[in-house]
Amino acid sequence: MLAPALMAQAPQGQEVVLEASAGTRLGIAVPRPTATGVPEAKVASDFHAVLLKDLDEAGPFSVIRAGAPAGTDPASYKAWVDAGTEWLLTTTIAKSGDGTVDVVAQVVDVKAAQDKKARTAVFTKRYTGRETALRRMAHKLADDLMARLTGQAGVASTSIVFVRQMSPGIKELFQMDRDGANVIPITTYRSLTLSPTVAPDGRIAFVTYKGGAPEIWGQRKVGGPNEKLYPLAGKPGGHCFCPVWSPDGKRLALVQGDRRGNTDIVVLDIATLKVRRLTDSNCINTDPSWNPAGTQLAFTSDREGGPQVYLMEEDGSNVRRLTREGTYNGSPAWSPSGSMIAYVSRFEGKFDLFVYKLGDGKSYQITTGVASSESPSWSPDERRIVFTSGSRGGMQLYTTDLSGNTLRKLTDFDGCQSPKWIRSR
Amino acid sequence: MRFVRNLIPLSVILTLGVGVACKKPEPAPVEPPKPVAPAGPTQEEIDAQKRAAEEAARRKAEAEAEAARKAAAAAEAEKAAAYKRAVEAALKDINFDFDKSDIREADKAKLQAIADFLKAYPQAKLQIEGHCDERGTVEYNLGLGERRSHAAQAYLVGLGVAADRLSTISYGKEKPKVQGHDEQSWLENRRCEFKLQ
Repeated sequence: MLAPALMAQAPQGQEVVLEASAGTRLGIAVPRPTATGVPEAKVASDFHAVLLKDLDEAGPFSVIRAGAPAGTDPASYKAWVDAGTEWLLTTTIAKSGDGTVDVVAQVVDVKAAQDKKARTAVFTKRYTGRETALRRMAHKLADDLMARLTGQAGVASTSIVFVRQMSPGIKELFQMDRDGANVIPITTYRSLTLSPTVAPDGRIAFVTYKGGAPEIWGQRKVGGPNEKLYPLAGKPGGHCFCPVWSPDGKRLALVQGDRRGNTDIVVLDIATLKVRRLTDSNCINTDPSWNPAGTQLAFTSDREGGPQVYLMEEDGSNVRRLTREGTYNGSPAWSPSGSMIAYVSRFEGKFDLFVYKLGDGKSYQITTGVASSESPSWSPDERRIVFTSGSRGGMQLYTTDLSGNTLRKLTDFDGCQSPKWIRSR
Repeated sequence: MRFVRNLIPLSVILTLGVGVACKKPEPAPVEPPKPVAPAGPTQEEIDAQKRAAEEAARRKAEAEAEAARKAAAAAEAEKAAAYKRAVEAALKDINFDFDKSDIREADKAKLQAIADFLKAYPQAKLQIEGHCDERGTVEYNLGLGERRSHAAQAYLVGLGVAADRLSTISYGKEKPKVQGHDEQSWLENRRCEFKLQ
């Protein structure tokens, strides 16, 4: 998604400061950038505010706002440390005659400087692009700071694909930046479009009712047109729902109705067009979610009465029930590392998000409140979850960290469903 | 000339054909014909008479055809209205309990009425739409709508309707009938709708 003009320079090859799992947060101060040639208001809205929001949501940073001293010179370091700062991030933004904007970011470890340690400049990087790329440069800087701090790329530059209701019975796919900016339509079928899924290489698949009955459409090739993927040409397929790309992007798990009204999970191999049915029971089986290795699937089934979350191998064997509490559990989403499964549980008429940790075999509640929270999808770095939340049908998109402490609303419009958090498209 | 005079209307009648009553020819004269004065209808008069008769017959035939058309249209309209009344009377939604696809006792009469309608109108085909209320997950509800539409289909097949006259589709919770968020709205939204194909 990054334009060629936007290039991060001077790659860093330094040690990781914090492990991703560390609970402590690093105090980072981000004074207003020094700008020449770009209007101050533009720098404030398209760069500084974007960067602060990115760092707030990233997880391991604690953005220092109170008690900031006026300057950023070495004489001010003590005051920064006193305000809780470890990293002091200064940025200069300059527009040259040909319209190119240069952003130079530098981080000084003011605490180390206070302690008279040798190396105090822990990060220096230059970003170049047009003025319209300021938002993306801010995201890239936030991601690079995350990489510098944790050794893992951040998710500030990622996107979210989701379904939005345009009018009753008309739903289309949209995409937006992870912070809610740049909402753009993906489909304009003027029909029901549901259940988007995005392969690691950016290929999309979804359900559309544009031909009457629900079919699965999507891209066979990167950048290719959306075409019918299932039912296969010339073969009766039954109704199909809920496509989910396998982690390698070669297979599509999907849900297929049978003649009796049951639904089963099948896997379509996109290259060979071979179809393998994984479930065969007299009930609803739906919501497939792959583990990151592509060797197991979580899914929802009402085989024992109400809907519950189950796991199985990729060939349909070894089915075991995951959720034990509650009468209505569903929408499993396997986390990117494979260690957790997010799902929703219904209680007193509304859903809340839960995370099941496979390591300790326990569930943790993420959301609480009067609204119903549904359709979880993990951030690629596993630190946050995007989901729909609302009451009385007015569902909007939110993200939260696993503690539920940093809830962020992404949208200012109703009728959102089925968000999928993706690296690129 | 009598012969000619008699023949003219007859020939007109014959050319006009169907639907016009034929007059019997007058009885043959008993007396031998007297010498006839050369005076009689001129050729113009004969032609005018012929045209008038033709015009009258044409109008009559047109009026009768128009009446027949109107009668047929009225009959057709009445038939269509009767069909519409039958459709409206028979194709009522049936509803379901939360997370259930069992046909409720209260809805069996509605399904019988639908089966009776399909027997009365052998050309009619239905699509059965399965719908859910807003309180389940998107994907599970698509499955539940699927099951509800098939439950209604199976019940109608049990009443003697051929399965190939009943297609099914699930809309899950994507197309609520009413926008409310209370028990009554949820009940109305947990439904099968029966749509003519």
